[in-house]
Amino acid sequence: MVMKDSEPTVQLSLPEASGAEVIPLPVVPASSPRHEQHENSKKVSRQNLWYALFFPQLAGLSESRQAQILNQLAGLVETVSSTVSFHPQALICEVRSSLKYFGGIDPIHDKLRTLLAPTLEQHELAGDFLYAACPTVTGSLLLARSGHNALVYQKDNLRSALGQLSTEVLQLNKEQNRRLYNMGVRKLRDIWRLPTDGLRKRFGSDFINLLNKATGAAPEPTRNYVAPPAYSASYDLPYELENLDRLLPLADEMLAQLCDFLQRRDLSVSRFVFRLLHEKRVGTEIDIALRQSGRCRDHLLCLLETHFAKLSIPAPVIGLKLSVKQFDAFMTESEQLLVEERVKGGAPKQNRLDQFMEQLQARLGSCCLKSINTVAEHCPEYACQELDYAESAQRDAVSLSDAVAKNPRPLWLLDEPVRLTLHGGRLYHRKSISLLSGPERIETRWWSGAEVCRDYYVAQETSGSRLWIYRERRGERGWYLHGFFA
Amino acid sequence: MITKMAPTAGSSPEPQPPAGGAYSDSARPDPQIDRLLHRNPKLWRGCDLAGQGSHGQSTGFPQLDDILPGRGWPDSGLLEIITPHWGMGELQILMPLMRNIIEQGKWILWVSPPHQLYAPALVQAGIDTRQILVVKADTSCTDALWSMEKALQTKNCGLVLAWQSWLPGRVLRRLQLAGDAGKTLGVLFKHNDSKYSPSSMRLQIKGLAPQSRCLSDTEITLIKARGNFRPLSARLNLYARAQAS
Repeated sequence: MVMKDSEPTVQLSLPEASGAEVIPLPVVPASSPRHEQHENSKKVSRQNLWYALFFPQLAGLSESRQAQILNQLAGLVETVSSTVSFHPQALICEVRSSLKYFGGIDPIHDKLRTLLAPTLEQHELAGDFLYAACPTVTGSLLLARSGHNALVYQKDNLRSALGQLSTEVLQLNKEQNRRLYNMGVRKLRDIWRLPTDGLRKRFGSDFINLLNKATGAAPEPTRNYVAPPAYSASYDLPYELENLDRLLPLADEMLAQLCDFLQRRDLSVSRFVFRLLHEKRVGTEIDIALRQSGRCRDHLLCLLETHFAKLSIPAPVIGLKLSVKQFDAFMTESEQLLVEERVKGGAPKQNRLDQFMEQLQARLGSCCLKSINTVAEHCPEYACQELDYAESAQRDAVSLSDAVAKNPRPLWLLDEPVRLTLHGGRLYHRKSISLLSGPERIETRWWSGAEVCRDYYVAQETSGSRLWIYRERRGERGWYLHGFFA
Repeated sequence: MITKMAPTAGSSPEPQPPAGGAYSDSARPDPQIDRLLHRNPKLWRGCDLAGQGSHGQSTGFPQLDDILPGRGWPDSGLLEIITPHWGMGELQILMPLMRNIIEQGKWILWVSPPHQLYAPALVQAGIDTRQILVVKADTSCTDALWSMEKALQTKNCGLVLAWQSWLPGRVLRRLQLAGDAGKTLGVLFKHNDSKYSPSSMRLQIKGLAPQSRCLSDTEITLIKARGNFRPLSARLNLYARAQAS
């Protein structure tokens, strides 16, 4: 198919000898030598340099804790680079664009080291990390893991640099490691000598993908760090204003911008500060906290209006400033598109629940919000375990009936068993106690030194409460109260 | 001749609150009125106190169902349970409700329980502990109240249980409104009853019923509920299910 050239000036003039017929010539693809050179130079400078920071000291921590620490460190690394991505126990940032600004890779490295050391020490971890830089993301990760601290600038040197690394940097599972060892493969360049089809059959395509990504033959999508949202806007008035009513339209404008920002980021605000600036004085602050976070502009304006009504200012206003103190994720009911789903009613949505839990956790802190889990243990004190909310999300579905004793257990367990008094043959807690159901003998933990050897009874007080009491069989043989059947 | 007026045998003392059989069979003239009463929880007859309609979630104890308006727990709002001390069986009453809520897939939030909640007991009662969250007792009062209010406003949360012995009336009113807005039931456990409390229902667990045939019957008094104007009592064995299993 022949395409007509749109620009008449580029059309080649017909030579005289071709005759009367017009033969439309095919358009020549625009690959003039100058254009090619331009593209090549672009390719060279388009090559990224990925700088990997590997933290081996994070190995022992739980997933949520690692994620938390990496998030914090990523915020600091953002001062050096604009693209920071997360990898297991590592952060990888793109530094080619910042090389010229910082004047080389060594200043960048020193800067990062001084930045990250205090944070790591805060979390009681070692302050140094392994680093490496190379044109591919996975390659730099592998180099960093090896501990060589290598810096590879050109893609041509990449393959030889990677070839020297031992296969431990791939962090394969034990079975695959054993297989590679048995094949006599010790370094990465030995792997490259083997045929890809055979490797794919034996180790899976993930393995081949990893190697391809390291040499730059496969694309590497990464999950980048996004800074937590922050919003602050200010407006300088062209002249002083004393009448607060005149400020309302300006405040409306600022709130409109805020709501636009919130809509774009899918957030809602639950606390913000509106400051009125005065000349030579401290500004007047209006702190507005919403009970239910929202982003309705009219509602926020109404609140501001109410505050303005009873506000008295010490001096005329010369500027306005709006900053948000706390964001929340935006929760809403989404309409069902299909009629059948609407009719079914639908189970409560999980993502809204997660947002609610996150709000709770943010406010209460992870020490105060817990979820509970059963542990298969005979000793009653250890059979119940409290988990943080973040860890509980990873819990597997344990088959409930197996892990729990058959005998009745109280709903409330006292932290420390309370000694019961014995008067004239009857036990007393607050009122006299009578035993209801027979002894359950629990003898366990002989290996730990704190042996548990008790006979448990279900008892009832004359006031009506049902108690779980036990008699110690070793030592003193006293009676203790351990729980309430609430 | 002065005829002595013998004390009429018919002068009965104050009629006992009906412990069961709240549907007075004698006064049931019209099936249409019955239908109206059943369907609409806001209508009730002055003479028939409880058991109008069945718009609540069944408690699991038939004697308790009889004295509650709507024959069950309300869907939303604040419910107060008053016991002289913790551990009188107040959680056993709520066990069937908790099971229902977990089966519906909603969550239960426990705010500042006085003692540690023991997971194996919940598992024995048939409640999945993965849908339970506990706010520990050492959180500050404002934080605990905030979490209660937030949970009551959320639709996914099925039940909020809180142990706060003294809260001012306006705080209770706020929680009541939050519960109504989010269609969640909140249960507050207290030691002392207060006449001016704005909650929609108040129950008191007095302890072992005096002069009852069976020693394990607990007496429960419904002090206040929307739809009745007289305290009603019921006696039931709270631990029957636990004993049977």
